[in-house]
Amino acid sequence: MRRIWAALPGTVTVKALQAVALAVVALTALIFLFEWAGTLLDSGGVVGPSS
Amino acid sequence: MNVRRVVRRVGWGLIWSALLIFAFLGYQLFVTDLLNDRVQAAAEADLAEDLAERREDLPEPEIVTVELPPDDPADTPTSTTPTSTSTTVPPVEFSPEEAGEEGSTLGRIAIPSLDVDEVLFEGVTRETLNMGPGHMPWTPVPGQPGNAVISGHRTTYGRPFYDLDKLEMGDRIEVETAVGLHVFEVREIHIVEPTDVWVTEPIPGAWLTLTTCHPRFSAAERLIIQAEMVEGPNLEYASLLAQVRDGNEERT
Repeated sequence: MRRIWAALPGTVTVKALQAVALAVVALTALIFLFEWAGTLLDSGGVVGPSS
Repeated sequence: MNVRRVVRRVGWGLIWSALLIFAFLGYQLFVTDLLNDRVQAAAEADLAEDLAERREDLPEPEIVTVELPPDDPADTPTSTTPTSTSTTVPPVEFSPEEAGEEGSTLGRIAIPSLDVDEVLFEGVTRETLNMGPGHMPWTPVPGQPGNAVISGHRTTYGRPFYDLDKLEMGDRIEVETAVGLHVFEVREIHIVEPTDVWVTEPIPGAWLTLTTCHPRFSAAERLIIQAEMVEGPNLEYASLLAQVRDGNEERT
């Protein structure tokens, strides 16, 4: 975490904004991954060729 | 020195993997439930109004006449000539209903023996099923003649069909739509492959088919519950159509 913070360019405010943006992107990617993997646990129960 | 670094990295990798797995399970088992609770609560609050609006858009009930096929001449010992005319039974009322748009509320599904009471939505896309049980758009609306199919999550997003395997023959399933309340009784229970679309095929009468994942925490198979309508505005009409179909099948 410290290394990532140190590698971010700009002032503390700019660094903070970049950190927030990175966190949002990471969280979105994580939820996307969880949603995809969740279909292996429970796909919704639909019956059909694409199931 | 090098070995220690590798061990440390592997250790951190395992710790992060474990955290990721815990986060995944927490998301699937708790967060999706919270998300579903919010959607269901909002849909529940609007359901009465939504159904009233749908009722206004419904076509007028029709008075329909059904002709039952003639009896099989082989069953008539006094004559070998076929009876030429079919039997017309008194007209019955039929209340047609079409499904709405994908993601719109369709009504309510309740399974008293499992303590299930959920707002029912139109459609079976992933987004719709995350809101609650969804009606397959290419099948009749529950309570209409044929085989209405409803799918639902088993272990995530409110898990409406978590205990579906505990249903027994004769258990009641209630579906309220704009037309009215329809009561079904469980007649068949199957475990099938996810591609076994025969469970969605039309059935004479008015039937309801519930589909969900099986076993719990796996999408490898499907648990299928098929229930026959025993109460509802279209019961008489659907029963007559089933008799026509049965009669025609017996004669062929």
